[in-house]
Amino acid sequence: MSEDRAIQLDRMRFTKNTTSSRLALLAIVFDVLFFISLYKSDVDTYYYTILIGASIIYNLVFLLATFLCSEGVKNYQVSYSWVMMALGVGQIVRIFIIPMNAHQAVVNNAVVMGDAQFIRMVIYLVISAVCLFAGAIINLNKSRALSAHLASLQG
Amino acid sequence: MAELQLQHLDKIYDNNVQAVYDFNLDVKDGELIVLVGPSGCGKSTTLRMVAGLEDISRGNLLLDGKDITQAPAKDRDMAMVFQNYALYGHMTIYENMDFSLTLRKENPNVIHKKVLAAAEILDLTAQLNKKPSQLSGGQRQRVAMGRAIVRNPKVFLFDEPLSNLDAKLRSATRRDILLLHKRLNATILYVTHDQTEALTLANRIVCMSMGHVQQIGTPLELYDSPNNTFVATFIGLPPMNMLKAVFEDGRIKGDGFDLELTAEERAMLAPWNREEVIMGVRPEYIAEGGDLTLRVSTNENLGMNTLVHGKMGENTRITAKFRSWANYKNGDIVPIHFTRKLFFDPKTTNAIRKEGK
Repeated sequence: MSEDRAIQLDRMRFTKNTTSSRLALLAIVFDVLFFISLYKSDVDTYYYTILIGASIIYNLVFLLATFLCSEGVKNYQVSYSWVMMALGVGQIVRIFIIPMNAHQAVVNNAVVMGDAQFIRMVIYLVISAVCLFAGAIINLNKSRALSAHLASLQG
Repeated sequence: MAELQLQHLDKIYDNNVQAVYDFNLDVKDGELIVLVGPSGCGKSTTLRMVAGLEDISRGNLLLDGKDITQAPAKDRDMAMVFQNYALYGHMTIYENMDFSLTLRKENPNVIHKKVLAAAEILDLTAQLNKKPSQLSGGQRQRVAMGRAIVRNPKVFLFDEPLSNLDAKLRSATRRDILLLHKRLNATILYVTHDQTEALTLANRIVCMSMGHVQQIGTPLELYDSPNNTFVATFIGLPPMNMLKAVFEDGRIKGDGFDLELTAEERAMLAPWNREEVIMGVRPEYIAEGGDLTLRVSTNENLGMNTLVHGKMGENTRITAKFRSWANYKNGDIVPIHFTRKLFFDPKTTNAIRKEGK
């Protein structure tokens, strides 16, 4: 191992995993952009209303969970990587719930969601998911490297 | 490290109040200079002028021969340690120490080495992941010193760094500073109002009063040969006894004493014949036994020695420091003698030395 790499590992004993933490926060930002776009939809059927109600509740859970993950991964806690991955999968799955159903759907002779809005929402969710996956993987790698380094120091 | 020259520094505030008058000092490489004096004497103002936190009204400041009088604080290559530590509460000790270097965009690996080295010197390695609130006052002050060390500045400036600590911690941290100075051989300018700190830490002391430098010298010079009554009473604890006296025909007379002087003292005081002088006697220059009498009022046992307060004659209050455990009571008469005397001109308050008037 090169000296630089060794110092980088040793620095992790005292520095926080800001990369993963910031990626989690970025995922929140894109989730916010997603739901700002979503609630612009003019939907008034029972079906869409209940979906959007569920989406609002999920958003609250997502914001809280992702923020907690951002704090957890800051301290190299592995378990939060798995939570972030699950949240990332959730963001991908969400593409297939409201956006897919609403895209080009016609209610009361009006298109619920046009192409532009659909693409924008998919992009937001995909970026949010990518941030979560990337943050989780970076945290996993760093945590494992740090654990090995700490073990070598104790040994 | 570096040499620092303060040439004719004056500080005049906008309201025309002058805080520092004609301050001159040459600080040698690796020297620890202590500026000491009572509150409001201008010592911190002088330090802040050196740091670049106060404008210099007149005079020049030279670092290694280069004029930095007008240079901004960030370009002076000096690090300051404050009385209140000035640590960032939300950052860990490691982050506090690496912060200034991170702002300067230094290589993180280099920063890491410097922080670990400083933490090692200051025995802070185990505390690096803690927040300042989890540390004691002494440890926080060491963090503040560590933050200065990592910058590897040419000059360290300490502004009453021990004032917030209790007596025990102060003593321990004072020892840390002394060790740090020996280890780094750093050029240090240190401000304090505590003469014990000044005497124990300094290579040289600058004693100030009312914005004026009263004396510059080694701790022993200031203690043994004070320039004037201010330095004589400020340096030394308890302060020097100042007795009104008249020099007359080879004897020094006053309320409660009439002493024959040595030939050297007589020669020194010859120009003051039949004139009033001030005789300075440190409490530790008073010993038990002799022709003089001390009427005891209070007795303070300090373990290794005893402070005895009382009167000589009618109204001459003096304090004696005896090197033994004594249990004198109010009203006891103790025979004493002076082992050493200093003399001062009452008009100028300057010390009377061999050179005469």
